[in-house]
Amino acid sequence: MAREDDRARDEFTSEAEELLDTLSRDLVDFESQGQNVRPELVNKIFREVHSLKGLAGMLGFTEISELSHSLEDMLDRLRMGRIAITRDLIDLLYDSVDSLNRLVIAINDPSLGALVDMTGLTSRIHHIITSQPARVHDDPFAELTLDEQTKKSLTEYEEHRLLENVRAAKHILVLEVTFDFSDFDERLRALTASLSESGEVISTLPAIPTGNVNGIAFRLLYGSTLDAAAVQVLAPDAAVTSLRKSEPGAAAPAALPAPTEIVEEEMSLRSLSQTVRVDIAKLDHVMNIVGELIIQKTQLEALTRASADRTSVQQGRMTSHELGKVARNLDRKLNELQKSVIEIRMVPVGQIYSKLSRTVRKVARELGKEIELVLRGEDTELDKMMVEELTDPLMHIIRNALDHGIEPPDERRRAGKSPVGRVTLNAYQQGNSVVLDVTDDGRGINPENVKRVAVQRGLIGEKDIVDQQRAYELLFTPGFSTAATVSEISGRGVGLDVVKKNLQELKGTIDVISRVGEGTTFRISLPITLAIIQALIVEAGGEKFAIPLTSVEESLRIYSRDIRTVERREVFTLRDFTLPLLRLADAFDLDDDHDHGPDTKWFVVVTRAGEKTVGILVNALVRQQEVVIKSIGERLKTVPGVAGATEIGESEIILVVDVGSLIDHFGGRARETRARAAHV
Amino acid sequence: MRAYLTTIIESGTESYDLEIVEAASGFEALKTLPHHKFDAILTDINMPDINGLELVSFLKNHPVYRSIPIMVISTESTEEDRRRAAALGAEEYLVKPFQAGDLVEKLRRLLRVA
Repeated sequence: MAREDDRARDEFTSEAEELLDTLSRDLVDFESQGQNVRPELVNKIFREVHSLKGLAGMLGFTEISELSHSLEDMLDRLRMGRIAITRDLIDLLYDSVDSLNRLVIAINDPSLGALVDMTGLTSRIHHIITSQPARVHDDPFAELTLDEQTKKSLTEYEEHRLLENVRAAKHILVLEVTFDFSDFDERLRALTASLSESGEVISTLPAIPTGNVNGIAFRLLYGSTLDAAAVQVLAPDAAVTSLRKSEPGAAAPAALPAPTEIVEEEMSLRSLSQTVRVDIAKLDHVMNIVGELIIQKTQLEALTRASADRTSVQQGRMTSHELGKVARNLDRKLNELQKSVIEIRMVPVGQIYSKLSRTVRKVARELGKEIELVLRGEDTELDKMMVEELTDPLMHIIRNALDHGIEPPDERRRAGKSPVGRVTLNAYQQGNSVVLDVTDDGRGINPENVKRVAVQRGLIGEKDIVDQQRAYELLFTPGFSTAATVSEISGRGVGLDVVKKNLQELKGTIDVISRVGEGTTFRISLPITLAIIQALIVEAGGEKFAIPLTSVEESLRIYSRDIRTVERREVFTLRDFTLPLLRLADAFDLDDDHDHGPDTKWFVVVTRAGEKTVGILVNALVRQQEVVIKSIGERLKTVPGVAGATEIGESEIILVVDVGSLIDHFGGRARETRARAAHV
Repeated sequence: MRAYLTTIIESGTESYDLEIVEAASGFEALKTLPHHKFDAILTDINMPDINGLELVSFLKNHPVYRSIPIMVISTESTEEDRRRAAALGAEEYLVKPFQAGDLVEKLRRLLRVA
C-alpha cells in the first residue's frame, strides 16, 4: 500500500508540475492581453486550477487543495464577469501559482512548506472576491430566440459568455453541422478554430442527426462580429441562423487600477520530477533497433555454431570475414541506439523559460526597473538533467543583468536609451554544444570599476593592470561579490564564482562579452548531453587519458626543439599565435621519460575552454572513440582536471580529462601569456 | 491521473467485475459510445471540447443511450450546473473531493446492485 501511495504521490507531483507550468505560461498570456483577455483563456486557467484542486483533494494534499479551491472560486467569478481584472488580481494569481509550486515541492521536502503564507493568500483572495460589487445578472435570453434544449444545456459559465456577447453587440448565431462519426472531432475542431478567429464559440451541443445514421450533429452557439451571411461563407456546410430579435447596442470596458508591491523570498526554480515525457514514436524507434540487434545476435550464434565445423584456413578466413560484417552491423545499430536514447533525454529549454519570465517580472518590480524580457530559441533541445541544473545559474545571471547591468530608468534616459531595459535570452545549438546568451542593453562592465572592487576585496594590488579580459576573470573569482555589495536581488552573497562552478560541473563554460555603455552578454556553452561523448584517447607518462572532443580544436605533431620558454612558461608558436603548453604527465604527477633531446616527437592537443586556449602536450594520440563518462565517486570529485572515468574496451579504465578545470588549475599563468600574445 | 478514479472504482467494485472505459474529453466520450454497451456513465462538468451538461443533454435525448444512468461528478463551485444536470436527466451526482466509499456507494445505487 505504501508503495502505491508513493506512486500516486509521484504521479501527482509530475502532473501538478505540468499543470502549474502550463498555468504560468497562460498567466503570462493573460497579463499581456490586458483588459481584452480572451474569455477562452480565462476559462482555460479556471479549468487548470480546477483540475489541480480535484487531484490534490483526492490524494489528500489539503493545503494545495484548499488554496486552489479559493483560487478556483475567484477565477469562477472572474470568468463569470463578476469581478474585474485588476493589477491586484494579476499579482495575486502569480503569487498563488508560486505558492502552489512551493507546496508541490514541499510534498517531497516538507521543510519548504513553511515558506507559504496560506492565510495571507486566502485573505487576499477573499478581499478581491468581496471588494468588488456583484454585477446585475441580466437575462441573456430576453433578446434571443433560443430553443429550450440548447438553453437547458448551457452551463452557468456559457450563459455568462452568451450574455457578454449580447452586451458586446455581437451577432448571436446558431450553426448546425453534421459530420461523419469517424472524424467528427477533427472536423469540428477545425471549424471551431476558424470560427474563433472572428468570434467566440460559446457552446457545442451534440445532437442526433436527421438522415445520416452514421453521423453526429452539433449545434454551435456562436457570438461574432460577422453576420449570418459572412459566417455561411466560412462554414459552407453549416445551416446558419441568427438568434437576435433586434439589432444590437454597445458596451464599454473597465479601467485598470494601480499596481501594488509584493516582495517575496526566493527559492530554487528547479522542477522536482525526474521524469521525461517521451514521444511514443521515439520509443518505437528504440524498440525497432533492439529488434535488429536481436537479429545480429542470432547471426552471431549461427556463425559460432558454423565455425566449430570449419577447419581449413580458407574456411577460417570466411568466418572472420562474416564476423567482421556482423561486428560492423552491430556497431551501426548500437550507434543508432545510442543516438535514440540521447534523443529521448532531450527536452526543449523553453520548459524553463516561463519560470524565468515569472521571476524577471517579480525582480523588475522589486527594483523599480522596467524590463522587457525577450526569449528566443525555446525549441533548442538539451538533456533533461542539464536543463534542470541550468535553471539556477541562469536565473542568477539574469538577476545580475537586471540588478547591475540595466541602469535605472533616469540614467537610461540621460544616456539616450529607452527607459525600458531589455534582457534577451537566446538559446541555440552550435556543433555539439548548446549556447545560451543572456544579453542586456545596460551599462556594460567597466574594468576600472571591477578593479576598484577587486582592490577593496584584497583580490589584487593597486598596481595590478586590469584590462577587459582580466576584469571578466575577476568577476568569477571567489570573494569578488559578497553579501555587502550585492543587493538582495542578486542573491545572498552567492557570487558568479558559484555559477561558474555549477556550470563546470555540467562540463560547461561561461564567458563575458561586454561594451561599456552598450551592454553585456554572458555566454554559457554546454555539451548537449553528459552521458556519452566523443573523445580523443591520448597517452602521457605511460597512461592513457580521454580528452572530450568538444574541447579539442586541433592536434599536431611537434619536436622538443619547437618548445620555447617565455617567462618560465612553456609555449609553442602556432601560426601567429603563442600557445601556452601544459604537460599532461606533469598535471597528474606522472614520471615521464619520454624526452630524449631536441628531436623527441610530441603531440599537441590544442584545447579550448570558453575563451581560453591551451596546448596539452602528450606522448601519443591513440585514437578517437565514443566514451561513456562514469563518475569516479564523491571522494575524488574535487580532484582538478578530472571529469570522470571511462572504460575503453577489454576492461581498461582510463580517466576523462576535464579541460576547463585543467586549464583553470594548471594553466593559471597561461592566460596571462595568452593575453599578452593577443595584444602584440 | 485519470487512472486514479478508475483504481478507486475497481477496488470498490471488485466483485462485480466491471469494465471501465476512460475518456479524457467530451469528444473522446462521444467516440467511445458506439463501441461499448455501457451500464453507467460518470462525467465531470468542466471538460474540454464539450462539457458535461452538453454530454448529458445529448445522451438523455438519444434514442439508444437515454436509458444509461449518469452520475455527474463535480465541485461545489458548480452547484448551479449540477442542478442543471439534474434537470437534463442526470440520475446521480457526487461532489469533489469525495471519499472512495461514497463514489462506490453511489455507483452501486446507479447500477441497482446490492
